[in-house]
Amino acid sequence: MASSTSISASLWRQHILPFTLLVGLLAAATLAGDYLLHRLDLAWVGRYLGIPGTLLIIGSLVYSLRKRKVIAAGNPKNLLSLHEAAAWLGSLFVLIHAGIHFNAILPWLATVAMGINVISGMVGKMLLGRSRQHVQEQREHYQLRGLSRSEIEQAVFWDAVTLDAMTQWRKVHIPIFAVFAVLSLGHILGIFLFWGWR
Amino acid sequence: MNRILKLILAANLLVLAVLAFVYPDLMVGPGKLIPGHQKLATDCFACHAPFGGATSGRCTTCHKPEEVGRLTTAGQPIAKPLASTPFHQKLIKDDCVACHSDHAGVKRFRQEGRFNHALLQADSRQQCQTCHRSPADSLHQQITGNCNQCHSQEKWTPATFDHDKHFLLDRDHNAKCATCHVRNDYSRYTCYGCHEHTPEKIRREHIEEGIRDFTNCVECHRSGDEHDIRMPGGEGRRGKKHDD
Repeated sequence: MASSTSISASLWRQHILPFTLLVGLLAAATLAGDYLLHRLDLAWVGRYLGIPGTLLIIGSLVYSLRKRKVIAAGNPKNLLSLHEAAAWLGSLFVLIHAGIHFNAILPWLATVAMGINVISGMVGKMLLGRSRQHVQEQREHYQLRGLSRSEIEQAVFWDAVTLDAMTQWRKVHIPIFAVFAVLSLGHILGIFLFWGWR
Repeated sequence: MNRILKLILAANLLVLAVLAFVYPDLMVGPGKLIPGHQKLATDCFACHAPFGGATSGRCTTCHKPEEVGRLTTAGQPIAKPLASTPFHQKLIKDDCVACHSDHAGVKRFRQEGRFNHALLQADSRQQCQTCHRSPADSLHQQITGNCNQCHSQEKWTPATFDHDKHFLLDRDHNAKCATCHVRNDYSRYTCYGCHEHTPEKIRREHIEEGIRDFTNCVECHRSGDEHDIRMPGGEGRRGKKHDD
């Protein structure tokens, strides 16, 4: 049991903690960006950051098209890096655009959907692969030590549960993106319909 | 994505779409409307033209420009007008949204009570006191005339006027404005308002130095320091420094 606890601690320290830090960095960058815009009397800039943010997120979808073979051009590995960077930066712009002001419900639902989308994407990028490998290594380690199958499963139980939860979380990425896209489209339509561009 | 999940998502989005039409103020409106427009909360197109934003034409349907500041939209006299003089009739054009925003989320980005004076007709732009009251401090109470002499129309502070550029008000010249600017006419000044500088004494001192044109004192004297003399066109052109 002590061994299992130390393995879980290792999983947290090596994988979940860096992931948490990257999510925290997104939150900190949002707060810092919002603070700076207000401090420099440039809060109006935040209103328009939604546009480059949206364009970056749309641009990041090239990877998704490549992955599903809708397009054939482009190195998938490079496109994945582009997908991650553009989606992270685009989300940052959109979060600063949203500010800390709660007004209409629809854009806030879109923001929440985007947040879930970013986190689910980062789970896929940072945690799932490495955690799967980590659990497999632990299984092999216990096998070498001569533990029985049931003892191994007992030893890696909590890591396996965590891994399973992550797998489920990963599955959220595409459906929640559909929700995010529709809500964002609703927000953008609302802006075009009611906003005076001047 | 499995079929059931797709259906659940589609149903949720459909509900949200319906809610957006039934409660547009909550779903897409950028914050509450001002109290006077609460009745219009769900009627977005009362003020907004589709794909054009809020238009002045729709404002003036209820708020007749000639009545703004004088009568309510119901035609009743306004008991407590916000401005001492109605000025909306003096605007160069009806551009309501240049100053007004009704939603709380939009108002947050605007500084209340601030508007661009360039929207006023030229003659009204010079009549500051029809809208603004002069500050009650002793300095401003002495001053008559247009605020533009010392303040810009963009900001009251900082004042654009720096007296030290013209003449340094040191401890020997800590006088009332009217001592030098007779009858609060700040386009003119005189240095003969105190006993120290009598016309005869000044004339004698300057003639002794060979200076014959001494009508505009601050042209050479920018402070009470008798050694701080700036002759126009270079030092010593029209005489030498005082050395008494």
